[in-house]
Amino acid sequence: MADPTIRLRDVSYATGGAQILTDINLGFRAERFNVILGPNGAGKSTLMRIAAGRQAPSCGDVLYGTILLATLDAATLARRRAFLAQHVDLTFALAVEDVVMMGRYPHYRAVPSPRDKDIVTRALELVDMAGRRGQSYPTLSAGEKQKTHLARVLAQIWNEDASAPQRTLFLDEPTTSLDIHHQIQLMDTARSFLKQRCTIIASLHDLNMALAYGDSFFVMRSGRLLHEADDARDISQELIERVYQVKAEMIAEATDQPRLWRFRL
Amino acid sequence: MPLLRRLSNSQVYLILALLLAAVLVASASIGAFVFLPSRMALFLGEALGFASAHPGDVLDRNVFLLLRLPRVLLCAFTGATLGVSGAIMQGLFRNPIVEPGLAGTSAGAALGAAIAFVFGNAAVLSPLGAAGVPIAAFVCSLAATMLVYRLSTSFGRTDVFTLLLAAIAVSAMCSAGTGLISYIARDPQARNITFWNLGTFTTADWRGALLVGAAFAVCFLFAAHHGKSLNALMLGADNASYLGVNPEKLILRLIVINTVMVSTATAMVGVIAFVGLVIPHLLRITRSADYTFLLPASALLGALIMEVVDIVARLIIRPAELPIGILTALLGAPFFLRILIWQRNAASGFYG
Repeated sequence: MADPTIRLRDVSYATGGAQILTDINLGFRAERFNVILGPNGAGKSTLMRIAAGRQAPSCGDVLYGTILLATLDAATLARRRAFLAQHVDLTFALAVEDVVMMGRYPHYRAVPSPRDKDIVTRALELVDMAGRRGQSYPTLSAGEKQKTHLARVLAQIWNEDASAPQRTLFLDEPTTSLDIHHQIQLMDTARSFLKQRCTIIASLHDLNMALAYGDSFFVMRSGRLLHEADDARDISQELIERVYQVKAEMIAEATDQPRLWRFRL
Repeated sequence: MPLLRRLSNSQVYLILALLLAAVLVASASIGAFVFLPSRMALFLGEALGFASAHPGDVLDRNVFLLLRLPRVLLCAFTGATLGVSGAIMQGLFRNPIVEPGLAGTSAGAALGAAIAFVFGNAAVLSPLGAAGVPIAAFVCSLAATMLVYRLSTSFGRTDVFTLLLAAIAVSAMCSAGTGLISYIARDPQARNITFWNLGTFTTADWRGALLVGAAFAVCFLFAAHHGKSLNALMLGADNASYLGVNPEKLILRLIVINTVMVSTATAMVGVIAFVGLVIPHLLRITRSADYTFLLPASALLGALIMEVVDIVARLIIRPAELPIGILTALLGAPFFLRILIWQRNAASGFYG
């Protein structure tokens, strides 16, 4: 396995008297699909925001390879990692391709290069939105909007060069507002991006989907890292029941298929 | 207008610039004295030393060079300032319903300018000299804008109705202050309450035109760099930061730039509302919401429309002149209502 791309060293975060994260030490696996699991309020989103550089930890460090995140300038960081939020609130009438082109902003000053335009086209094709590139963003459905933003963040860190530096894609509950078709499409597209030697860090609520798509798992509860696993089979029934406060029952298990769980209170 | 969408940005700028040039010539020739383009060229040539002056033309020449020309330029610079300011503020508040006249920026500037006119010789302000008026306008304008911004924006989201209510309250406070000062004032410009509330170009002189022009030029050069950043900010502060923009720094910097140019213009011509609202709105519905296009295009269209409105204001009740703010409100308020209805109808604030 390659070296960890992004590492958190003794990271804690407190705000307004509330301790959100406590002594987090972890290294995300390079070029793998890393999944952060945990109930609401476990600190998943805060962990992602800190790892992505949007928020500084109260104490501890974040390292990108061997470089301290705090010493990276904003433009370099923007070419190293992209972040897809669960919902983007955009009300102005921009064309779909203009929104995707924003992903290339960290790469050009005034005028996009032919390469930037080419990447926008490729990203739109990858998310199956090439036919909608001229359409006005507010007229899209929720699924199409999220696909547009997926294309935007993919364009931001797009690089097919084998010698390209390590890049990371953050997905913060990206499928929350999507129907099943769009959920699967988004997860498949994101996973296919691993081929570009990119690391994915995702927080997901749907445990079955997380187990089906993830390579490595980081289970959190109450701001602490509870468990790390590099195999979906290491996520045990006992762990699920303890972390999520539910009764879990395995409904399908085959050797080459991900496990399927059913939950009740 | 699909035609406008097919043209390139440069072609749109060129069309707007040509129209603006034509309207500037028309505006300079129309009025109590009518000047043909050939005579205007002659006066300009004389003033610049290319031709020797005819002694018989003194009155005409003075009217043209000292009254008409500065007025036409002041009007154009003010329109450009208000257009760009509307675009910047709508980007900062992430809402198309903001503009300097409605968000307290102009009202604050008017209060500051009125204070400086009346108390300009007082101990605190006298060291500033002639710069006292624009500086006082800037300080009050910045305070008013920041107050409205803080009240209406939390976590990077602007609540429209809090924004409008906060703007009403702050503007009312500023207008009350301005009203009080013009009541006790001796300076004829500060005494004129219509000047502050409705705006006018009748007091135009070269000093005002050059001051507003210089403030606009400097601020526009700074603002024009931030088109991409304003686009990114449409996605919200968090997503903008993931694209390498520091949203907190961007917002503060643009509020200051915006306030410098708006307060300078307001100190010279009074409060002219709705221009900053309508200009970017027209450009969005006919072409694009992309700020790299919107900032230069708003400057050109702002100057163009301001000039047209000023011509109408000069002609409509000849030989008297209508305060320009009456016309801009008459034409602009329906746009405001239209945007408001759109926003109310769409739960998510859809804006097409």
